[in-house]
Order: sequence, then structure tokens, then C-alpha cells
Amino acid sequence: MSETDRLLVVEDLSTTFTTPSGRLPAVSHISLSLDQNETLGIVGESGSGKTVLARTIMGLQPRTNVEVTGSVLLNGHQMVGVSEAEKRNYWGTDVAMVFQDPMTSLNPVMRVGRQIDEALRVRMNMPKDAARARAIELLELVGIPSPERRYRAYPGQLSGGMRQRVVIATALACSPQLLIADEPTTGLDVTIQAQILNLIDELKERLHMSVVLITHDLGVVATRTSRIIVMYAGRVVETGSTRDVFHRMRMPYTRALLESSPKVTSPSHTRLHAIPGRPPNLVNLPPGCSFAPRCASATQRCHEERPELEVDSTPGHAFACWNPLPIRPERVA
Amino acid sequence: MMIAITFVISIGSFYLLHLLPGDPASVILGLGNTPAARAALYHQLGLDKPIYEQYFIWIGHVLSGHLGNSFITHTSVLSTIRAALPIDLELIGLSQILAFAVAIPTAMRSARKPDGVLDRILGAGSFTLLSVPPFIVIVLLVLLLSIKLGIPNTGPASYVTLSTNWIANLESLALPAFTLAIGSFVVYYRVLRSDLISTLQEEFITMARSKGLSQRRIMWIHAFRPSSVALCGAAGVNIGGLLAGGFVVQYLLQIPGLGYTLISAINSSDYLLVQDIVLVVSVGVVFVNFLFDFTVNLIDPRISRE
Amino acid sequence: MSSALDEVLTEVQTDKRGPLGPLFWVCVGWLGLNVFGAIFANILPLHDPLFGNYNAISQGPSARYWLGTDDLGRDIFSRIVYGSRISIAVGTGAMVIGFGVGAPLGMLAAYRRGRFDSILTSFMYILLAFPAIVAVIAVLSFWTPRSMFKIIVVIGLASIPLVYRVIRTATMAVATKDYIIAAKVQGATDRRILMKELLPNIAPIGISFLLIGVATVVTLEGALAFLGLSVNPPTPSWGNMINEARTVLAQNPWLVFFPSLALCLFLLCLNFIGDRLRSHYDVTETKL
Repeated sequence: MSETDRLLVVEDLSTTFTTPSGRLPAVSHISLSLDQNETLGIVGESGSGKTVLARTIMGLQPRTNVEVTGSVLLNGHQMVGVSEAEKRNYWGTDVAMVFQDPMTSLNPVMRVGRQIDEALRVRMNMPKDAARARAIELLELVGIPSPERRYRAYPGQLSGGMRQRVVIATALACSPQLLIADEPTTGLDVTIQAQILNLIDELKERLHMSVVLITHDLGVVATRTSRIIVMYAGRVVETGSTRDVFHRMRMPYTRALLESSPKVTSPSHTRLHAIPGRPPNLVNLPPGCSFAPRCASATQRCHEERPELEVDSTPGHAFACWNPLPIRPERVA
Repeated sequence: MMIAITFVISIGSFYLLHLLPGDPASVILGLGNTPAARAALYHQLGLDKPIYEQYFIWIGHVLSGHLGNSFITHTSVLSTIRAALPIDLELIGLSQILAFAVAIPTAMRSARKPDGVLDRILGAGSFTLLSVPPFIVIVLLVLLLSIKLGIPNTGPASYVTLSTNWIANLESLALPAFTLAIGSFVVYYRVLRSDLISTLQEEFITMARSKGLSQRRIMWIHAFRPSSVALCGAAGVNIGGLLAGGFVVQYLLQIPGLGYTLISAINSSDYLLVQDIVLVVSVGVVFVNFLFDFTVNLIDPRISRE
Repeated sequence: MSSALDEVLTEVQTDKRGPLGPLFWVCVGWLGLNVFGAIFANILPLHDPLFGNYNAISQGPSARYWLGTDDLGRDIFSRIVYGSRISIAVGTGAMVIGFGVGAPLGMLAAYRRGRFDSILTSFMYILLAFPAIVAVIAVLSFWTPRSMFKIIVVIGLASIPLVYRVIRTATMAVATKDYIIAAKVQGATDRRILMKELLPNIAPIGISFLLIGVATVVTLEGALAFLGLSVNPPTPSWGNMINEARTVLAQNPWLVFFPSLALCLFLLCLNFIGDRLRSHYDVTETKL
């Protein structure tokens, strides 16, 4: 499959911010790719740069004090180093984004329905009535009851879960092929979280979309993605098919992430495993592996030399570690 | 609420005048100022009644439209106010149209490219203008115009009403309107720019961008509306202030609005006129504030729900 | 994008706020100079501001008379320096009254809430609805003979409700923050909370508003002078100097120009410093 046929090809992407304290490499040399009907999970703690990555891929990074190098090919169209006007052509129609906090990502003084059909009217020149009808369809599609009534509601009048559904509906308005969901459930009630994630799954199937799911919770991506990228301090530290990464976890950080999310099945009052230490200061990165200061299996080499991303025995599964976890025998999932 | 405030204000303005030293009777009688004559006049004017009775009489008159005749000029107070008020309104109206017409587009431009060339120039310029009081602006402008360009100074005779000759009318109001517009412009520009900049950092603007909407649409349809709340608030305060504070400008350029009339009334110790004008102005200010609060609620439904 | 950047900036966010800038200190210096001149005018080697040299009427700037003379032969420069006394005294005096009364009341009301707050605030808001300028003009015109003291008192009293409102709003914004509640729960006395927690947080806004208030009052004095309501001539004040100069505008433009310049520069510096302080300490104004 040639490069231009793939839905998304990201090569050696780096995003560097210029801050008063110095240059901040939020994203460093990341490459990934996505085909039609695939779901990619990007996992990392706060501060790992995953949101910056998502926005850079889409081209939504701020215009000042930012430097982006590398290449992002969306349906064969280059998104790096092009003008905003050019990128705008593809926003909404080829790629769309679902943001983290539905309260702040919807315009609070504009009615919800209008926000959904806005893209239809403005970008696709749909007449008002047709756009309204389609918006109501979309509201129904995302599972909002009484869509005609809700069309006229303001965001403040809806609950958190419903707002997020509206955000999803807005993103889907122009039928994009790629949906980037940036922590779509953080900040919602736990019960709602599952609903929203399931909704995204459903929509993915029905509309034949590809999805990039960004989250800090490994548990979320376990069942919903075909491939995963694990990020730390702006770099990819482990990547591969979901199955491989979970069953043959090599990077200690990935293991630590998995162990730090509370499980429903563990007995009550189980102590939470927190990863000791804090994410590094990206402006002054220490030499060597960025995770070394907090890593339980760090060696001398880890503190001195930065490991590169390398494929191990299993094709497609890469990680960056001098002292990876041993491969366990296949466990029954 | 508005009624309560108005009521209190009326008491306030009435009482204030009576607190002040100064004696209307002496002024009226002039040279024939003997104790006997004073007492007679007091009785005739009803000034010997207890204060609260005088107040009620006055309020009663006001509410029924009888504002009485000024002691000094012997013309009806009501007609004086009625002649003067529209001038104020027109002056304020013109200056605000001017101020908004310049402030809104420039603020939008500046907010889109903060710290750009336009933004810096306007920022420094507006700041400087802020520090130049209106009376100085007028003096300097008059200096410029009359000396360099030979345009004569305006006086009350030169003010022409709208119905007579609207071109001359606009000409005579041009200078004061422009002066007042400067101060208003500075306020509106800064408020709007600052609010727009913070609105533009909100997540829903990024979301609007991600839908592929044009910059223009984002600025005017998404960003302007939430930001106009602050602008409305500022407008309410500003216009309220203009009602009361445009006096100096009027006085200097001898535009016979309420301000000019009030100052003249004070200078000639025309208590009744002063009282009534103060009342009208205060009510006007309250009304304007109320009006703008109401508009703000229309624009941003969040506020009424809080 | 701010939240995305926040995510990455967890460690990098420093307490480093940009420096106040050289222009800031220039303004402070200029203000200092004005105040110095005002205080020490008597002992500085200046021409007598009231003495009119009839041989040197309406002269432009010269070596002897730095800024020229007015139509009565008086030295403009020294009149400006003496005039600054009026402006500065009125500005600071009125603000001392306004803040001295309005600020503590505002802080207390915002902190205590309850009936004290409701009654006081309603009262203040009603006072605020009354256009202060009108009251000031009315009172000053009828309360003769005029003196600087009376002017300061009247303007000062008139400014109390506004100061009250601003300080109260600022205090309320801070007082509802969690750390105040935390301090209360820990058993800190009210007095302690007021002094150690609230005051430092309100101080920047308060000082900034104070400076802007002084600027407003000084402007007001100028306006009053134009209405003939400021100090009586021949005492020089910037306002009445400009006012008097109007009549001889064509003949002696310097007479208008220099006092205007003095006034405007003074106001500019005040506004600039006030604004700078406000944005320097306003943490919510992020710049990316």
C-alpha cells in the first residue's frame, strides 16, 4: 500500500514550544501510521505530550512560539508547514476532533443544534432546513433522547454525558474519515465514561471511521484498539498491536502504567501503585532514558544513554529500553 | 429596584440642595433684602414649611409634571429641561456611534494578532489618549482649528437644532462629539480587546477552528458574542458617566445641553432648576445602567441562570 | 490549546513574572520628581510664582524663564511646580479619605457577609447610582469660600462608595478561595486571615486602583478649574493655568501647552504604573 493510500502517515514529527524558560520539546520525533477502519490508542500520563501530539497531527497547534518539524500526511495531504487556510480544507471533512472537556469545548452562548449544523451550512453549503434535519439525525445517532427539543438547548442545560455526545455529533457532522478523541471521558462520571466509549466504538463501525483514542488509562485501550502507542516525555517508548503490548510488555513504564490503574476486580482497600517521582521537566531533560529516574529496573546505561525505539522479536512491536522486561509465556487473557 | 433607587435619589438631591449654604431669597430680592421682605418671600414660595413637607410638595409637582417656574429666569423648568435634554442625547448618541464604529473593528483586529504592529500602536496610542482629559483635548483642538484653519469658536448661538438645518447641526456638534468619542473609544477598545483575547484562548474556539470555520466567522460569530458582555457593561457605565460628566465639554463649547444649563443654573443660584436637573440626570443614569444590565442578560443566558 | 500546553508545562511553570520594564521605572522617577518638586518648592531656587515681571510678558522659553512667562509676566515653570502641589495634594488627599474609609469597610463587608454586608452594600450602591460629579460640582459651588481642604474633603467623600465597591469585589474574589476556608477551618482568627491572607492578595489590585484613582481625581480637579471651582487665582494649579490660558490662546500658546504637558505626563505615568502593576500581578492573564 503506497504512502498516499494510507489514511494517516506521521513521520518524525516534533513540536517544540518557545517558553520564557527555554525551548520545550513537547513532542520529539514521533512516527506512526493509520489505515482505514483502524483504531489507534495513544497512552501516557499528563505531561507526556499526547494532547500536543494530537493537535499537531491535526494542525491545531497555536500559531506563535511553536515550531513543528516532520511530516503529517492526511489522505496524502501534507499538514505540516502549510498555511492555516489550507489545513482548514480538511478540518471537519477529513479529520475531526473530540475534545476533553465538553463544558469548555462547546460555545456556551450558542444553541447546541446550531453548533452542530454550523459546519454543514458553512462548509457544505447546505440549506438551513436540510442542515437542521441532519443535525437532529446526528443527535439521535449519538443517543440523545428527544433530539428535536434538545436541538434548541444551550450547553449549560445539558448534563456532562450529553454534552460530550453533542461534541461527538458536532465532530461527525461532515462525515470525517478520521476521528481524534482526546481523553473524551476524563472528567465524566465513571458510568458515563463507559457509555461514551461504547458510543465511539459503535459509531466507528457504523460510519467506517478510523479513530485515534488518547487516554492515560491503559485499561480503556485494552479492548477498543488494534494498536497502541505508549508515550513518555514526548517520545514513543513502546508501540505495537494491542495484544502484543499487553501480553508481551517490554517497557517497564508500560507495566507501571498498567499497575497504577485501579481495577474493579482487586479486593477492596488494595493500595494503589503510584509511579514514584514526577514527570520530567521537558526543558531540562536529563541525559539517558527519560524514565530512568523513576524506573525500578534502571541500569547504569539507562541513566547515560537514551535508548532508541527498536523492534524486538515480534514484528510490529517496538520499544525503547536497555533493560526490558522479560517476555512472559503467553497467558490466557 | 429601580424605583427604590430613584426614590432615594430624589430625596438625596432635594436634601443636598437644602443642606448647602446659600439663600435663594437673598438672590431673588437682590437689593431689597430686608428681613421682612425675606420672610414674606419665604412664605410666598412655601419655603417656611418644614423640610419634609416641602419635599412632598415638590415630588408631587414633579410626578404630575408641574416642575414649576424657575425663580430666576421665570420660565418653566420643564420647558428648559425639555429643550436641553435632546441635545445631550444627540451628543451622546453621536459620540458613541463614533466610538463603537472605530473600537469594535480595531479591537477585533488587535485580538487576532496580539502584539502585532497594529496592536502595539493602538495600545500605546489608546493609553496616551487615556491620559489626556477631555478639557485639554478641546483646548488643544480649538487651538489647532481656530489658529491653523481659521474655524471660529462656537457659541450657543451657533448651535442649530436638527429640524432647522441638519448639516449645521452636525457641524456644531462635531467637535464635542469627537472629544467625547475619544474617551469612550479608549475604554471600549481596551475592554473588548482584552476580553476577546481571553475568549480566544477558550477551548470552544479551538473546537470551532477544528470544524474548518473561517477566521472571520470565528471572530464575529463565536468570539464576539461572549466578549460583548463585558463591552455592554462598560458601555453602561461609560454612558451613565457621560450623562453626568459631559458637562465640562458642553460648558466649554457652549452647547446648550443639560450640562451647560446645570452649570449656568448653579452659577446663578437657581436652586429649583439645579434640583430638577440633578434629578433628571440621576434618573437617567440609573435607567441607562438598568438598560444595559438587561441587554447583558439577553446576550449571555448564563448570567441570568446563575 | 492552553490546556494542552498546561499539560506539558507541569514542571516548567515558574514564578518568574516578567520584569516591570525600564519604562515603568522611568514613570516612577518622573512621578518622584513631581512629588519632590511639590514638597520642596519653597526651598528650590524658583522664581516667585506670584510675582509678575511686567517687562517680560508672554515670553517664550528663555534662559531666564525656562518655560516662558504668562500674560502677567509670571514664570510659567515655577507656577507649574507650585501648581503640582495642588494636583498632588488633592489627588492623594482625596484618595486617602476614599481608601481610608472605603477600603476597610469593603474588605470587612466582603469577608463577614451577612446583614452588615447587605445593608452597607445596598447603601453604597444607592450612593453610587447618584452621579458623583454632579454632587461635587453642586457642593463646591455653594460651599464658599473655597479652599483646597474643602475640595479634598468633598472629592474624597464622593469617592468612598466607588472604592468600597472595588475593594469589596476584589476581596470577595479572594475570600471564596479554598485556601481561605482552609485557614478558617484551621482556627486562624479573623484578624490573622485578613492581614496575612487577604491583604497581600488584594494589595496589587488595590494599589493599582489607588493610582488610577489619583489620576481620576487630578483630572477632576482640572475639570473643576475649568468651571471655576478649583482653588482661587492667583494660586496656580495646573487646571486653572490652562483655563486662564484659553483667553490668550492665539497670542501665547505656550501658556496652554506647558501646563497641559505637565498634567498629561503626570497622568500618563500614574496610569502606566497602575496598569503595569495590575497586569504584573494578575496571574490569570496568561501569555503564550
